[in-house]
Amino acid sequence: MNPSEPTVPKTLAELQAELDAVKRREAEFRVHMVQEFLDRGERNTYLHTLHEERAALIKRDQAASADIEALTRKLEVEEARTASLAAELRALRASLSWRLTAPLRALAGAPAAPAPGPDTGVPGGVFTYYLHTSPFRVYREASFTLRGWAWPQDGRAVTGIRASVGGKVFTGRIGLEEPEVIARYGAQPSNPKPGFEVTFDTPPGRHLLSLEAQIEGSEWRWIVRATIWSEAAPA
Amino acid sequence: MSTEDPKARWQETTSTLGERSAYKKVWDRQSQDAEVAVLAVAGHTDEATLDVTAASFIETLEQTVGLDPNDVILEIGCGVARVGKPLSRRCLHWFGADISSGMLGHAARRLSDRPNTTLVELATVGLQEFPRDAFDLVYCTIVFMHLFEWDRYRYVEEAFRVLRPGGRLYVDNFPLDSAHGWNVFTEGTRYPLDRRPAHISMASTREELGIYLRKAGFTDVRVHDLPNELIAATGRKPE
Repeated sequence: MNPSEPTVPKTLAELQAELDAVKRREAEFRVHMVQEFLDRGERNTYLHTLHEERAALIKRDQAASADIEALTRKLEVEEARTASLAAELRALRASLSWRLTAPLRALAGAPAAPAPGPDTGVPGGVFTYYLHTSPFRVYREASFTLRGWAWPQDGRAVTGIRASVGGKVFTGRIGLEEPEVIARYGAQPSNPKPGFEVTFDTPPGRHLLSLEAQIEGSEWRWIVRATIWSEAAPA
Repeated sequence: MSTEDPKARWQETTSTLGERSAYKKVWDRQSQDAEVAVLAVAGHTDEATLDVTAASFIETLEQTVGLDPNDVILEIGCGVARVGKPLSRRCLHWFGADISSGMLGHAARRLSDRPNTTLVELATVGLQEFPRDAFDLVYCTIVFMHLFEWDRYRYVEEAFRVLRPGGRLYVDNFPLDSAHGWNVFTEGTRYPLDRRPAHISMASTREELGIYLRKAGFTDVRVHDLPNELIAATGRKPE
């Protein structure tokens, strides 16, 4: 204030309004103080509890997916073994001694049908990848969207993505941003947006799923392959 | 949960009296189901009744400790924010503290349109999550009956610490010498010894509440007989 200006006496109402404004600013300061105090002690806050629960659920989901993948792989090994035994049995049945002893096996049943082998000629590649939606599951819907990120370990660019299910090919899209992945693994000059998604049909039955990436606009390489089981209702 | 009746579901979630001090466990168990949570903290499940009882309590606050639009308020044991939801319209900021993360989950949903509210999960008995000299008003309603006496006093002591000089405290409980209080007491006698629930309501006396506040350092300590047959103690932290 300029000391030469005359002092104008304030009304009681004006003084009260000033006092209220000061009280409000002081109260707002205390609200911020409490919130900063709470932020520093976030370990004890409700938000932290929710973060902990979310992290635990994600961990459980990942563990469950890993379990299902391990079981799927075991099942694939057992199916291959079954197919081998079935072939051996067919050879045995074709033998002379088998035919001679046929009356003794009047009540014997037929062996299981052999499992189908891989249905594409695409070679495998070496990728760094992660699948947000695990393909290791029992499929109950008519279609499924696989989301994740991937890049070849030789540094080349992924220029396409597709899924082959029982020989039928489904084209997906690439170039989805994955900022957390880039932050963790560092810049990927050939694959700055390494995310992808591909939706494929899952008709009832057992199929070979092959997730495949196109490299530098030319050859295709599979990223992951697995036998999948669908219990979806027939279309 | 196996039944449509929330009261029956509530019974399935109760802990035994020996676990009364394990407040987090006791109240988290009772908060897994939103309807049961409301029943456990309010005695009914009707949202309209919640609003009516909350409005009645806010009137009690006005008459005993007063309310100011610039108040920074803390509720100890806010449960599903029965009171916090309407009270947040009457103050600068409302903080709700509860030991049960489950209860706070329900409270968060009820307060989703109230930006001037903050929920805080208490790690244990006490207000160690909060700084000193922060609040204009601290209150604790329909909570003391579920606490042991030492813990009631602990919250009064802690309220003194977190209140700003001149800040006000309100705490309440039911007394034995009212029809309602005696009814609650005799209902408790009907439980078999080994089946008394951890949350069973236990009365306070006027002397008890007054002593807590005076021992903690409050001045202007008053004990009120409320129209709803509760007793409340109020006090002010010296300037």
